[in-house]
Amino acid sequence: MRQRSSTARLYVFCIVLVLGAAAAWTAHADEPARDAPPPTTIRDLDYGDVLFHFFQDDYFESIVRLEANRDFNRLSHHAAEADLLSGGLYLSLGLHTEAERIFDRLLAGPVAPSVRDRARFYLARIGYQRGYYEAALRNLGLVERPLAGKLEPERRLLEANVLMGLGRYGEAAKRLESWTDTSGWSNYARFNLGVALVRAGDTARGRQFLEQVGTMQAANEEQASLRDRANLALGFALLQQHGGDDPATALSRVRLDGPFTNKALLALGWAEANANRPDRALVPWLELQQRRLLDASVQESLIAVPYAYVKLASNGQASQYYRSAVDAYARESRRIDESIAAIRKGGFLDSILATIPQADRPGWFWQLEQLPDAPHTRYLYHLLASHEFQEGLKNYRDLRLMQANLSRWTDSLEAFGAMIEARDIAATQREPHRQEMLSGTDLDALAQRQRELADRFAQVEATREVAALASPQERAQWEALERIDATLASMPAGPQRDEFTERARLLRGSLSWELDRQYKVRATQTRRDLQQTRAALAEAGTRLAAIGEAGDLVPRDTLGFAARVNELADRVARIAPLIDSTALAQEHALADLAVTELQAQQKRLGSYSTQAQFALASLYDGATAGGGR
Amino acid sequence: MKPKSHPLLRVAQLFAVFALLAAPIAALPSEGDATNLKTVDQDVQALKKQLIDLNRDLFKLEEELLYPASTQVAVFLSVDVGTFFALDSVTLKVDDKEVANYLYTDREVQALHRGGVQKLYLGNLKAGSHEIVAFFTGKGPHDRDYRRGTTLKVDKTVGAKYVELRISDREASLQPEFVVRQWE
Repeated sequence: MRQRSSTARLYVFCIVLVLGAAAAWTAHADEPARDAPPPTTIRDLDYGDVLFHFFQDDYFESIVRLEANRDFNRLSHHAAEADLLSGGLYLSLGLHTEAERIFDRLLAGPVAPSVRDRARFYLARIGYQRGYYEAALRNLGLVERPLAGKLEPERRLLEANVLMGLGRYGEAAKRLESWTDTSGWSNYARFNLGVALVRAGDTARGRQFLEQVGTMQAANEEQASLRDRANLALGFALLQQHGGDDPATALSRVRLDGPFTNKALLALGWAEANANRPDRALVPWLELQQRRLLDASVQESLIAVPYAYVKLASNGQASQYYRSAVDAYARESRRIDESIAAIRKGGFLDSILATIPQADRPGWFWQLEQLPDAPHTRYLYHLLASHEFQEGLKNYRDLRLMQANLSRWTDSLEAFGAMIEARDIAATQREPHRQEMLSGTDLDALAQRQRELADRFAQVEATREVAALASPQERAQWEALERIDATLASMPAGPQRDEFTERARLLRGSLSWELDRQYKVRATQTRRDLQQTRAALAEAGTRLAAIGEAGDLVPRDTLGFAARVNELADRVARIAPLIDSTALAQEHALADLAVTELQAQQKRLGSYSTQAQFALASLYDGATAGGGR
Repeated sequence: MKPKSHPLLRVAQLFAVFALLAAPIAALPSEGDATNLKTVDQDVQALKKQLIDLNRDLFKLEEELLYPASTQVAVFLSVDVGTFFALDSVTLKVDDKEVANYLYTDREVQALHRGGVQKLYLGNLKAGSHEIVAFFTGKGPHDRDYRRGTTLKVDKTVGAKYVELRISDREASLQPEFVVRQWE
């Protein structure tokens, strides 16, 4: 799956690269947050949760959780990392201004050198994307040490691209010459530099770089496509030179089943025609004619084929081809009219997104090359691959996803409102019981009683008053003995009283002995009971306070939450129509872009058609003048 | 007879070359389109920021309202195993009641392997002792099926309770097992 995605991405990447050196890097720069290395150890689980969504390229969910958890103060161990990540996430979501603000703020504070370097790198990237090359170069110059992971080769590529953006090709070349990497990034840089040098007129040096990439060993589809692109660019450069090396060598290296095959076939034909080999030019051009007419190279082949026949003095065949070319151009022009009308009708972007499976998933736009031959899209392959269009389409998709997200929140807010109301009702119903409990519980009196008991026990312990810890039965027995003593005291002296006195003494002795025997156990138990009473009293105090506090808080919480729900519901209601209007404005802007592109294509078809008609006229003139075949 | 190459055909040839090098230039926006795009982009940026802030506030409200700190319990899942182990599912029970049964996509498994931590469950528990039981299933090397479980006692106090279930093969058995850690 990853491989598939990578290949698909490359396809569009390739097309973008043909736009020029600057656009080549931008395709990667769209997803800067991808490369942020995770911290070695997660010390705040909620930061790990942010990363969990981030690593799934779910940048919106990731930034929302990051912001919320930061407000909850749950990311304190990863504060700097979280700041850096938030900057990268804002950048990924297209919020350049916010991202720049975050990186600037980060750099103003005390942060680890590695974080500082990465912030500078991202700032340089933003500067490059916005065309502020000097600022970008300045920030790159402030990066003090190699960046971690894939960021380092990307930094070097960025530096080369910035130098190219400034027209300092020599310095860019020097950087590349000393760059030996195995990641493949340097090949992109070499390709970009080669194209830039050719465009700047330094074809000889440009060719060197393109030749390096065009002859490299490709280990995968991505590299093979880059090699195709380099060979194509090299072929074009040689074709422009007229009379130098044969462009066919480079063009023949382009694979026959790649995204650049059509362009290579067309150019190969011109290379052969230039070398006065029109018969050999016909081979690629006739092959091209079998392909879909949507492609600009195929369209051009319609007049290239009769051109070759003219060169071969087959004017009859040439006339036929020119005539059918004029018809084909007219048909295509009408279809472009249909496309313009379809785009103007509205729903243009929705129809594009509807054709992409899982357009709500990251990486979706790499599937744009698989768009069907629908009126909205059939002529827009180049445009769809352009940075401007993709940024706009991403914005539009993001807005629609956020709209769906808000719609879900609207339902939740309603549920929250109902919940708060229910809580309020329940609290009101509980209130009398709560009040009764609060007023009916005299904790102070209980505490006073507990203290008295504790004092009394201390006294018992101090005097070892064993009878004080007697059981109720023993206490009754003790009291009975005291009553007997009183009775005996009132009896006349004599043997009977002596006998009773002796028996009472024995009984008291026995009871005392028992009380004394039990005293230690009972004292321990009483001590424990007193401790437990003290703890229970404290617990009761806490609970009672909590009940009191809860009762006081419920109205406040309920009102607080209700106010928050209302405030958020207002914000949702205010922002919903804004999403619609902004999405519509985005669609109009892209529709204008698409129509401009289609009109340019129509103009090109018109130009081809005019050439075909002039050529036909020329052939007729020649035939009339010379009575030719 | 062989007619001369018509000048327009030479133009066509040149056009061909430049069309190839510069064809996509037609795809670049005109000045007017570019300005329009820039304005729309600025509006979109401002709106997206508002939407992120709004979602942040909604997220916070939801958590504070539904899972107040006094009763909140969160169970997180992380992975510290070699890439040869592919996690399939995790089941979580709290006090013998199933509260989560999660099937993982490849993308989620990759995110866990890269260091992400999944918030598997967020719920409420009253103060006191509770039992959490978790099982995971997955495939190890040679397509071997794994099913492992763990049981832990959680003492819920007044603050939010965080539990991390880490699937790790770095323990003595060198096989994926749960390693549990409780965070306050």
